[in-house]
Amino acid sequence: MSADAPKLGNASAGFGLAAAVTALFNTALACTKDAYHPLNELMNGIAGHNWTTQALADVLLFVGLGLIFSAIHVTEKMKPNSLISFLVAAVMISGVGLFAWYCLY
Amino acid sequence: MRVTTSDVILLAHATMGVLGTLSALWVFVETLNAQPQNAQRIRSIALIVAILMAAAGFLGGYWYLRFYPVERALILKGPWPFAHNLFIETKEHLFLMTLILAFYLPIAARDRLYSNAVARKMVLRVSMLIVLTGLSIEGAGAVIDHGVKVALLRPATERNPK
Repeated sequence: MSADAPKLGNASAGFGLAAAVTALFNTALACTKDAYHPLNELMNGIAGHNWTTQALADVLLFVGLGLIFSAIHVTEKMKPNSLISFLVAAVMISGVGLFAWYCLY
Repeated sequence: MRVTTSDVILLAHATMGVLGTLSALWVFVETLNAQPQNAQRIRSIALIVAILMAAAGFLGGYWYLRFYPVERALILKGPWPFAHNLFIETKEHLFLMTLILAFYLPIAARDRLYSNAVARKMVLRVSMLIVLTGLSIEGAGAVIDHGVKVALLRPATERNPK
């Protein structure tokens, strides 16, 4: 990548990648907990309800990965346009995936 | 007139969601015209999006756990059981993605949008994703609400067959 090419800020890139991963994780966890009831029951026990546990897991994952990705300067390793495309694709696939899962489940 | 706590929380939840979605649209439009003069305004509105979506999530989450089971029972016995099986299940999980995007928006808006094309592109994409998912969630809320309504409007003979 050229040093002169416009780049995302370190936090913007790190937390942007974290948001993409969290979106995919959110859909994967929603499907898994429905298909595997012991996980659902475990999540019910952690924060009183599986949805609350999932919300907490998502936020913690987003913050944790965001801090890690920012610390390792992901902006130097990934082209900004690729990161933006990955985030958009992750959210769209996750959203459509959720709808499709509940249509079929 | 009798307005219950459940009514207040539910309507406040929907209001916060709509205001959060409109604020994300505001960020989108301001970013299309990003200049040094509106940089601080974009950052402030992006922060407001995060706060409104967090409030919508907190209120909606509380209502869902505390009051929704009664409505769920009604929906599942009514003619639109998919209002629960499909729409609320999708809505409650899709919202978590909207919430994460809303938390991310103020971080993305910290870059100099007026002089950095990729930072501008990121904020435009994220704010538009918040608008699209926000509108989908509002639409799902309307379907769920109608699912309760059609369950209650069934003839009494259908609800309590002899």
